[in-house]
Parts: sequence; structure tokens; C-alpha cells
Amino acid sequence: MTPGSGWRLLAPALLLLTVAFVVPVGMMVPTSVRPYVPLVGITGGFTARYYTRLLTDSYYLEIIGRTLALGLTVTCATLVIGYPVAFFLARTRSRWRSWLTILVVFPLMLNLVVRTFGWIALLAQNGLVNQALQALGVGPVKLLFNFAGLLIGLTHIFLPFMVLVLIGAIQNIPRDVEDAARVLGASWGSAFFRVTLPLSAPGILSGSILVFVLTISALVTPRLLGGPTYQVMSTLIYDEFLARLNWPAGSAQSLLLTAMVLALVYLSSRLARRTGARA
Amino acid sequence: MTAARVRTWFLRAWVALVLGFLMLPVVVIALASLSRTSYLTVPPRGLTLHWFAQVLGDAEYLHAIGFSVVLALVATIGSLGAGVAASFALLRRRVAGGAGVAALLNAPLVFPGVVVGVALLQFYAMVHLNGSLVGLALAHMVITVPYVVRAVTASLQGIDPELEHAARVLGASGPVAFFTVTLPLIRPGVAAGALFSFIVSFDNVPVSIFLLGAGQMTLPVKIFTAIEYGVDPSIAAISTMLIVLTGLGLAVAERWIGFHRFV
Repeated sequence: MTPGSGWRLLAPALLLLTVAFVVPVGMMVPTSVRPYVPLVGITGGFTARYYTRLLTDSYYLEIIGRTLALGLTVTCATLVIGYPVAFFLARTRSRWRSWLTILVVFPLMLNLVVRTFGWIALLAQNGLVNQALQALGVGPVKLLFNFAGLLIGLTHIFLPFMVLVLIGAIQNIPRDVEDAARVLGASWGSAFFRVTLPLSAPGILSGSILVFVLTISALVTPRLLGGPTYQVMSTLIYDEFLARLNWPAGSAQSLLLTAMVLALVYLSSRLARRTGARA
Repeated sequence: MTAARVRTWFLRAWVALVLGFLMLPVVVIALASLSRTSYLTVPPRGLTLHWFAQVLGDAEYLHAIGFSVVLALVATIGSLGAGVAASFALLRRRVAGGAGVAALLNAPLVFPGVVVGVALLQFYAMVHLNGSLVGLALAHMVITVPYVVRAVTASLQGIDPELEHAARVLGASGPVAFFTVTLPLIRPGVAAGALFSFIVSFDNVPVSIFLLGAGQMTLPVKIFTAIEYGVDPSIAAISTMLIVLTGLGLAVAERWIGFHRFV
């Protein structure tokens, strides 16, 4: 076992990621400061205009704000909906447990375009949801090409991630801790809110960061449920590169989105270390 | 004890509701694919398998399915090779800076797919790899290799390194010890990693859509663009086929390797 054998084994993976990931993403930095002239293309010179526009123009600020608002609401929705499910699946002794877990995994494995397509059929003007609402006497509600549609679709898409992360966290809490609280006289509610819930905080944190990051990065679902007009950051980048061909502006937007994602991941790892040290 | 029973039933009802919510679009698509109407409608009006026949007779769909399968196989084989070697090195060899390498290998998991897509669109245009199958396969390997590393690492952590040492002491060379002792033991992890890798590649839109050249089309990108042009029951039919295949694949994987442990 030579000392270099570790690096030899790592070489293929490192080479792959360098050539097809690190370098291409790094190349976007110089592109993002080149002036783009319509009908001419990317020209030489330097400009910071795509960054200043992104951070000052109200059109772009609205899209950035909408993207972050979606990230926040989808994270909260998946947490509130998913926690009881994760709690049940982590604690049940049912022999159906693994198959119920597979039911949570199944949508995750199913093609994203297919899942989103199902929501188009459900949320359209004459879709199933509006048919049901009208049967209840509530007029047709606009659920596509707006915030509500994206919130419903993205919550559905990312709920399994949240549930799976929380199952792992809750399984790591010994049942005895809860039982001890009950024996010492705590009601079920206070045992849950003062023992179980705080102990699952690391899972809540990592699940929330994961869902938030995935939501602000999502392209397919916002595009299909939001259409070409109701934009988020990733659909903006998509149009900038494929429709407007303004690669410098698209690169600046891509780097901002990446910076937001990396900042969140970094912050959460700092936070996790701190809570880990305290526990 | 009644309060506890009420809580239990409330929890069960909530779980049933949420699982129903998760399955709702799946059921709706399957129903919509059976409608006789030329527009999408649920519940279906009349029953027909016409839309399935139409999709299976459509040369564009068949070509896209074939292309997606080939791409996913190439990407999976590549990321298995690179990923198994990397996991083994990170866990069993003392590599200085191993934590940094592991972070890099996992980075594509949280990186916005659309950013990887546009970065490669620009880079491939510079190095004349645009529209090539090689470029597309490399891109898919980048996004699938973290899944292989994760599943294989989980499997490797569960087996005793002394088993391989014993093989070495008894005279087996490093590769022989790995392929005859370690690899058979981590087979479930490798299988789960391969399955993940295949699915992630087969499903991808945000990276593929920027890199497909003339005459190249993957199935999800084909469905994605078809939806942008307008929805009809043939999209529901191809979607239903994917639902059935995914369901069968997952059921087999669960029985075979206990797939949910690797998610």
C-alpha cells in the first residue's frame, strides 16, 4: 500500500470534476463582466453593469425577492406537513414501515417533469382542483402562473426530501429520553415540545437548508407551472442564455444564485457545528 | 389512555392524507392518459389505449427514449468507476485534504443544476465539445457521481477493514483483495448507487436542455418542450409508462437490496 495509492484512486473523480465542473463554473466569472452588444455579441472590455442592474433594478429585485419568498414558504410548508409523517415513520413498529417509506421515496424517484405535469392537470382553470372547488360553490381560482401554483407544486416536489432527512434525525433520538420525561411527570405535549422537538433540531436545520436550496435552484417546476412570464431566478437564467443570448447577464445571475446557495450551505454547517458543540 | 389513542389516530390520518397528496398527481396522470378526448381532462371521458399506441408509434419519442437510456448507461458506468474508487480512497486510504475532496465530490448535489448547465454550455462552446455525446456524458457524470459516492460510502462504513487485511496477509494482491472480498460485500451500496445514478441521469432536464446538439433529444427534455407547446393525453400516456416502470423498478430494488436504507 503505497502512500500515493489514495490519490491514484481519487484521480478519475477529481479530473472529472475539475474539467466538467470547477473550470466551467469559474469561466463564468470573466464572462459576467464583459459588455454584451445586441446583434454583435460579447465584446472586449469591462463592465459591472450586469451586477449593478441585478441589485438595483426593481424588475430583477422582484424576481430575486420572489425566489427567496418561495424558498422560505416551501421550506415552512414541507416542515409543517412533513414532521408528523417523519415522526410516525421513525417511531412506528408497523410491519408496513419500509413500504410506507417507499411510498415517500417513490415520488422522489419519479421523473420531475412527469410530477409537474400532474400538477398542471390538477391546477389548470378547468383542472381537478377547480372542479372540486366549484362543486363546493367556490368560483374558479387562478392556480397556475402565480405564487400559489409554484408553492403547491414545489412543496409537493420537495416534501419527500424533508421527510427523509427528518426520519433520520428522529430515529437518532432514543425513545427512552421521551419516556423519562413522561415518567418524571411531563405531559405528552411538553415531552414532545421540550424534549423530542429540540433534539431533532439538527435534522430540522439540515432538512430546511436542503429544501430551501433546492427550491431557489429549481428550474423545471417553476417554468412549467409559472410559464414564461412568472419568472424566478433559474428561469431568468434559462431565458437569458437560450432566448436573449445575453451570456454576460446570465453569468452574473448564475453567480449570484450560486453565491446565495453556497452562503446558505456554509452558514448551516457553521450553525450545525455550534449546536453540535453545545449538545 | 384515550388521549393517546386519539393522538395515534390523528397521526395516522395525517400520514394517510400526506401520502395521498404525494400520490395525487400520479393518479391524475394515469387517469388522464385513458381519456378519449384530444384534450387533457380528469376524470377521463370514455376509455381508450389509443394514446399509448400513438406514443409507442412516434419515432421521435422512441428515439428520445433510446438516447436517454444510452446516455444514462454511459453516465452510470462512468460515475460508478470514478465514484467507487473515490469512496474507497477517502475511507480506506489516508489522504491529506480528504475532507476537502469529499466536499468537492458532493458539491454538485447542492449546486443549482441550471448553473452547471449554462456553465458547460459556454465552456463546451470554447473547447468545441458542444453538441457532443462525450460532453453530455461528462456533464451527467458530474451530477451522478455524488450519489454513487454516498451510497458506496454508506456500504463501506458497514464492513470491517480487517477482512481485506486478512486477504492481503494470506497473499492476495491489493486489486484481488478488493475485487474478491470488499466489492462483493459492498454490492448493495454499489447497486443502490448505480440505480440512483441511472435515475438522476435519465430524469435530468436543467443540464441536458442546454447541451443537447442537433439530432439529440432526451425523453424528459422532449416531454418538457411538449408541455410548453401544449398539453394533451399523449404526454399523460408516456408519463404513465414512466410511472409504471419507476414503480416496478423501485419495488424490485426494495426487495433486492432494501433500497430505502440508501436514500
